[in-house]
Amino acid sequence: MSDPPTTASGIPLPAAAGPGDVAPGLDERLGRPGEYPFTRGIHAEMYRTRPWTIRQLAGFATAADTNKRYRMLLERGATGINGVFDYPSLRAVGSDDQRAASDVGRGGVAVDVTDDFDDLFEAIPLDRVSVSLVSSQPVGAAPHLAMFLAAAERRGFERAGLAGTSQNDFLMETAITIAPEALPPAASFRVECDVAEFCIRELPRWNPISVTGYNYREAGADAPLELALTLAHGRAAARELIGRGLAPEEALPRISFFLDAHSDFFEEIAKFRAARRMWATFVRDDLGVDSPAAQKFRFHVQTSGVTMTARLPHLNIARSAIQALSAVLGGTQSLHVDGYDEALSIPTEHAALVALHTQHVILWETGVAGSADPLGGSWLVEHLTDAMEESAGALVDRIEQLGGLVAATEEAWVHRELSKRAFADQQALEDGRRLVVGINAGLDDGDGAGGIDGDVDVRPFELPPGALEAQRRRIDAVRSRRDDGAVAAALGELGSACTDGANVMPSVRRAVAADATLGEIGAVLRDSLGRWHFPLW
Amino acid sequence: MTAEVQREPRLVGKKAVVAKLGMDAHWRGVIVVAHALRDAGMEVVYLGHATPEQLVAAVEQEDPALVGLSSLSGNHLEECRAVVEGLRAAGVEGVPVVIGGTIPPSDEGALADLGIAAVFGVGSPLRTIITRIAALLA
Repeated sequence: MSDPPTTASGIPLPAAAGPGDVAPGLDERLGRPGEYPFTRGIHAEMYRTRPWTIRQLAGFATAADTNKRYRMLLERGATGINGVFDYPSLRAVGSDDQRAASDVGRGGVAVDVTDDFDDLFEAIPLDRVSVSLVSSQPVGAAPHLAMFLAAAERRGFERAGLAGTSQNDFLMETAITIAPEALPPAASFRVECDVAEFCIRELPRWNPISVTGYNYREAGADAPLELALTLAHGRAAARELIGRGLAPEEALPRISFFLDAHSDFFEEIAKFRAARRMWATFVRDDLGVDSPAAQKFRFHVQTSGVTMTARLPHLNIARSAIQALSAVLGGTQSLHVDGYDEALSIPTEHAALVALHTQHVILWETGVAGSADPLGGSWLVEHLTDAMEESAGALVDRIEQLGGLVAATEEAWVHRELSKRAFADQQALEDGRRLVVGINAGLDDGDGAGGIDGDVDVRPFELPPGALEAQRRRIDAVRSRRDDGAVAAALGELGSACTDGANVMPSVRRAVAADATLGEIGAVLRDSLGRWHFPLW
Repeated sequence: MTAEVQREPRLVGKKAVVAKLGMDAHWRGVIVVAHALRDAGMEVVYLGHATPEQLVAAVEQEDPALVGLSSLSGNHLEECRAVVEGLRAAGVEGVPVVIGGTIPPSDEGALADLGIAAVFGVGSPLRTIITRIAALLA
């Protein structure tokens, strides 16, 4: 090789790390597992007493279709639910909107009314199974949570006992995923924090924000930028919630995080470890909060979808397993492993089960869960952890100089940094600096286009038909049974809350109680809070 | 952009209208390809999200040599059908429509039947995309 090897993000690698590669003061930078600065993990015994939650993503077609998949995963050994919504539902656009027609039930489950949440969680013991709602965009997160609560309370569950997470991330709405009619960044961030404030006051076991570094990474970030955007977002949310008068000891333990497990094994482990230390340091030194619960960086991990290949898809089983192992060695609290057919479609049942049981292989067969932070003290891993802290820290400082993450989004700094890296990454693949087996390496006919003898074709998941018609029927049925005057009054009140600056959650909940649809609530939020042109090009 | 795609003489000065359709949320692929087309010498009009009607209106106004679509949500069959029918109804002829994204190989035949000129699935190198588009527009 002509250039000396580096990690994926460009950190030079020592040929063989030794004591000289680790700066003095390591003991202080590490602490013990369960103690400040939590570099080695947030619990003293980690997986011995608290195995990570096996939380496989699922969602497609109607709520009834997805409920079957949830129950199958739980029966086969998943320990939590990770529910993803289709593209219109994420954006609070109704299935009956013309623009939604081709995406209803695709990439996630379609939800329009509270009845859909009845079906989605039918027969699932919500007092025992925690639920992650992948309501990534605040415009959808607020009504999704209101509908989830209404459905759960209808079934007799106590609100205080409901455990779970709303993803609820303004960057998802304004920089990471595009769709028509995003809320402006400041408005989306405000709705995010409205949801968070409501949950901190009313839902003691709910994580109202999961900062989705995973998706920042998948959109183009490298590991340091993923970490920097994640921490900058956490900082913004922490300051806003404290500014609203919430006690830091109450508010901070409720902010959770979501990171990617990408291909570069040791760099990813270093990223997870650095994340904990950087967050704890910020909470203690910048916010002056000494409560250990407030200092703990709790996170979920998903293996990297963009690293999955359409060619030779069975190799993705190996990729996912290695990525998942990095998450476990990095001390994650919960984990999703991608299906091997990720580059073709959402997972078939077979791919979903292979991914689920890959987690069991790591948990039960490898022995890695027996000892906390098994790589702590490795010269290489400590060297990379320090380097990651430094490079991500410089980016966090840059975002702070721009006025924080909301301002950096408004002026398109975030979009530029992501698209710049996405393009550079593609170039690295094309000129061979980054190797992917089956794409540009490892196969014998020059351009890597060959196969493996005996390879089996992978058939993409076929969506059950009829989701669009079912959702339209359901919306019609709800509209014919409800009191339209009450709906109009509740939606009017929501519009006023938006313009008055009141927390929107109480009025979203009243609108849901009156059987307003998701699309109707989304329209009021957009009409009242504005629409933003996404500055990507 | 720091990295470059080589200029492609057959594409220099030609115009592409590029869009995402439906509610699909992923922009990484379409933006990377749009940058590559621009580096290859094309004038790129990126619409962001467009309905088929908005896309047809933009094609009528811009008179491009190429229409590029992106889909990662699985909506490609419905959306491509609507676009192709819309272009035909508007009397737009001779403008190849290509699509990239998470397109299962098993759908490529159906897309060809609709009149889609090229499908670039996951893993398509930029140089392959540029070369095939150049051949289409030659």
